[in-house]
Amino acid sequence: MSIIEPIDQIKETDRNGNISVLIGHYALSNSKNFLSNRKPTISIYGLGSCIALVLFDEINKLSAMSHILLPKASPTKIIQYPHKYASFSVKLLMEELLNRGAVRENIRAFIIGGSKIFDLENNDVGFNNIASVKEELDILKIQIIKEETGGSKGRNVIFDTNDFSLYVKSTGETDFKKIY
Amino acid sequence: MNNDFKIPEEFHLTPEQLDMLKEIGNIGSGHAITAFSKLFNYEIEVSLTSADIIPFWKVEELFESPKVEVFGIYSEIHLTSDLSIIQIFTKESIFNLVNFLNEDSNLSVENVRICEDLDELSLSIITEIGNILSGHYANGLADLMSIKLVPNVPTVALDTLNAMLNRIIAKYSQISDYLVLIKTNLALKEIKIDCVMCFIPSLNILKNLFKILNIKYNMDL
Repeated sequence: MSIIEPIDQIKETDRNGNISVLIGHYALSNSKNFLSNRKPTISIYGLGSCIALVLFDEINKLSAMSHILLPKASPTKIIQYPHKYASFSVKLLMEELLNRGAVRENIRAFIIGGSKIFDLENNDVGFNNIASVKEELDILKIQIIKEETGGSKGRNVIFDTNDFSLYVKSTGETDFKKIY
Repeated sequence: MNNDFKIPEEFHLTPEQLDMLKEIGNIGSGHAITAFSKLFNYEIEVSLTSADIIPFWKVEELFESPKVEVFGIYSEIHLTSDLSIIQIFTKESIFNLVNFLNEDSNLSVENVRICEDLDELSLSIITEIGNILSGHYANGLADLMSIKLVPNVPTVALDTLNAMLNRIIAKYSQISDYLVLIKTNLALKEIKIDCVMCFIPSLNILKNLFKILNIKYNMDL
């Protein structure tokens, strides 16, 4: 397996200071460096079987989110978007944080998503995604401090990189609720 | 590394091939719409079919409002490899449709927030509409390819379009970072129905189609 130049980091925020993370992409934030009073948020609207993985170091004010699509890559595939796969994304996201000054022991995780929207027999992508992400986190000994996974409803996620709060809204609900 | 696999960027389709896929989409949707129109006595407006080859993370851009909650009726066809057909209706469209077909029904945006709020009859009407559309769509394709295509009974979901697409994207992007999506819009003005029909073939099916239609292709995937 080889990874060719990752081209998947989203750096630009929109007018509201929000970064919307597309499938197979990730976003990073270092809130120590913010000179203005801008409070960037990282969000994903419409999570089904995908997983939103958030890793953060609260002490060093670093955080990252990736949008994971699949548990692992088929062994013969050339990987252009590593964050598409749980098997790469967890490790890479942690490395990104460490490279920017995070301390390994401080890193915590949120995982959101992995629902089963269509009630089909062979529809276990979401379930496999959750299992794979947890397995990877376990190997790296990263503690999950909040989890909102499974079920049959899609979710919207907003992560505030300023105070590390997490907001989730499931389909059918009217408002975002703060879960961390 | 297996040499059979090329860098995803090399998987592309020529304008001629995309045109052919559009035509295939027209045949499929034509069959579906003919059957659909028999349920109503009104004229159905159909847009031109579009065929796109698109990276997996851009699929949402093909749709007008991917963050809005809509009804999705999804069915798969199991063959040597898979085909998916999904019909996407706005909430209002589905309620108008069910209310039109069942006089006793009075569905509205206020009383249906999630799929479980639907009564059994409404849900089976919706499933049946999906069945008619995907069944006839598949029939159209089957005639063309001289094979048997029988979609399974569709499942209905009420969720954001993005969330529904997750599953479909996950299914196809195991092999390639690109997927082909053939899409037709239809509208019924009199009872305010808007629907998008999407047909997503696997690479195997594409190869098959091109072989049957005698089109040159270069997809070593």
